[in-house]
Amino acid sequence: MADLLTIGVLFSAIALASIGAAWLRTSVIPLYIVTGMVVSPAVAGELVVEGYDVPAIAVTEFVEVGAELGIVFLLFFLGLEFDVRRLLDQREQMTRAGVIDLAINGGIGLLLGYLLFGSALAAFLAAGMVYISSSAIITKSLIDLGWIANDEAAPMLGTLVFEDLVIAVYLAIAVALVSGGGDPASIGLSIVVALAFIGALLVLVVVGAPLFQALLQSTSNEYLVLRVVGVTVFVAGLALAIGVSEAVAAFFVGMGFASTGQVERIERLLEPVRDVFAAVFFVWIGLETDPQLVAGVAGLVLVAVVVTTPTKLASGFLGGRAYGLGPRRSMRVGLGLVTRGEFTLIIAAVALQGAGGTLSPTVATDISAFAVGYVLAMSVLGTLLMQYSSPFERLAAARFPSTAP
Amino acid sequence: MDVIESDLPGVGKKHEVELGDGRRLVVVTHNTGQRELYVKAGEHADSEKLFELSDRLARLVGTILEGAYFQPVQSEHVETVLSEGTLLEWYAVDDGSPVAGETLGSAGIGRETGATVIAIQREDEVLSSPSSDTEMKAGDTLVVVGDRESCDALEAMLSGGE
Repeated sequence: MADLLTIGVLFSAIALASIGAAWLRTSVIPLYIVTGMVVSPAVAGELVVEGYDVPAIAVTEFVEVGAELGIVFLLFFLGLEFDVRRLLDQREQMTRAGVIDLAINGGIGLLLGYLLFGSALAAFLAAGMVYISSSAIITKSLIDLGWIANDEAAPMLGTLVFEDLVIAVYLAIAVALVSGGGDPASIGLSIVVALAFIGALLVLVVVGAPLFQALLQSTSNEYLVLRVVGVTVFVAGLALAIGVSEAVAAFFVGMGFASTGQVERIERLLEPVRDVFAAVFFVWIGLETDPQLVAGVAGLVLVAVVVTTPTKLASGFLGGRAYGLGPRRSMRVGLGLVTRGEFTLIIAAVALQGAGGTLSPTVATDISAFAVGYVLAMSVLGTLLMQYSSPFERLAAARFPSTAP
Repeated sequence: MDVIESDLPGVGKKHEVELGDGRRLVVVTHNTGQRELYVKAGEHADSEKLFELSDRLARLVGTILEGAYFQPVQSEHVETVLSEGTLLEWYAVDDGSPVAGETLGSAGIGRETGATVIAIQREDEVLSSPSSDTEMKAGDTLVVVGDRESCDALEAMLSGGE
C-alpha cells in the first residue's frame, strides 16, 4: 500500500475510533489501542476475505516517530500545566495525599511486579505502571460528570499533579535503568547523565524565563506554534540522542513555557497538535501489541486489576480525607483515581526499548502486553466506577459515619 | 459577597459566588474559553450543571448581566466599587445644573462633599487630574472617587437639591 494511503487509513481509523468513543460515551484511549490492534499485521494482516489479503498497517518509521511525538507532547502539556506556586499553596494536603498514593500503590506495584515477572527491573517498571493514574481520562470524566465543580475535584487534580512530578523523575530513572546496560557502573553513569541533564533543564527553566518570554513575543499564532514546537521537539530529540528520556525533557520545556504567562494561549493552540500525535501513540501501542500476547498475560492482568483497584480506592479515600473531605466525597476521589492510562503505556514503551538488552525479549513483550491489557481493563473499569459511584458512596457514608458531607 | 477562586490543573479556573441564600454559583472557565455554570445548594453540596457557554456567548451574556445594554434600575450614572466602601462613579453635569460654569474650587466640591473629581470627560477629550481652577460645563461627565456618602452628596449638589 502506498505510504500516504497507509497514513490516511491510519488517521481515518483513529477518527472512526473517536466517533465510536463518543457514541459509546467512553474514553477514546482504549478504543485507539483496540483500533491499533485490529489494523495491525498480527490481526488484519492474517485475515483473508474471499481470497484477498486484508491490508494491514505496518509500524513504519512515520508511525514510530509520530508515537514519540505523542509522548513528547503529552509530557510537554503536563509541564505546561505544572505550576510550582500551586504546588506550594496546597503543599501540605497535596504532599500528604500524594505520598499516601505513592507509598500504597508504588509499594504494591513493586511487590506485584516482582511476583509476576521475577526481576527487579520489571518490578520497578510494573510499580510505575500500576501507580500512575490517567490524567487525560480522569480529567475528562470529571468534566463529563460535573464533579469538576465539586469539592472532590481538588484532591483528585492535586494527586494527579503530584503523580506528574513523580513520573517525571521516575521516567528519567527508568530510561536510565533500561538503556543503561547490565553492569552497575554503566547504570550509574546513565543515571548521572540523566540527572545532570535534568539539572541543566531545571536551571534553564529557572533562569531562562526571559528567554522563553522573548521567544513568545509574537501576536501571530502561526509563529508561536512553530516556535513552541521547534523548541520542544529539538530539546526532546537532544535528550534522546544522549540517552535521556525525551518525555522528561519535554516536561521541563513545558515548565519553562509555563512561566511566560501565555500558558492558556499555548494550550489552546497546541492542544490539537498534542491530540493528533497522542492518538498516533495509542494506535502505535496497539500495533505493537499482539492480541494473543495480551490473552497470554490475561491472568496476570486479572491479578493486577483485583489487587490494584482496591489499593487506589484506599489511597484515594485517604487522600480525600487528607483534604478534609467527608467519607462520601473521599470515596469519589478513590473511585476517580482508579483509571490508569497514557502514562502506564509510556512506561510500556520504555520497557520495549529494553527488549534484548536489560530485559529479555520475552519479559519486555510480556510486560508491555501486560500494560496494554491492564490499561484496557482499568480505563473502562475506572470510568464505569465514576459513572456508577452512588452505591460505593452510600457504603462509605454508612461505614464511616461523620457529620461532614 | 465572596468570590472564591481556585485552580483546576489541566482544566482552567473555578470561581464560586455566594448567592446570599446559601446557594453558590460555580463558574468553571476552561482553558479553551468554554464556560460551565453550576449551582450548588450549599457549600459542600453536589453541583448541578445549569448550562455551558462558548467564550463569545459568555462575554455577551456577561455584558448583558453587567447592564451595558439595559439598566432596569433607573440610574443616571455608572458605578464601580474600587474597594470596600470606595466608589468610582461617573456623573453628568446637566444643562440646569448649578455647578455648570463654576470651577471645581468655586463650587466647593471637595470641601463640601468629600468626593474627588479625578477627571472630566468633555465631548471626545478627557481632562485628567483637573485643578481647582478647572471649569465645569454643561454636558461634562465628572469621573469621581469617594465613599458612598460623598458620592451621594455630590450627586445632590449637581442636581441642585440638598
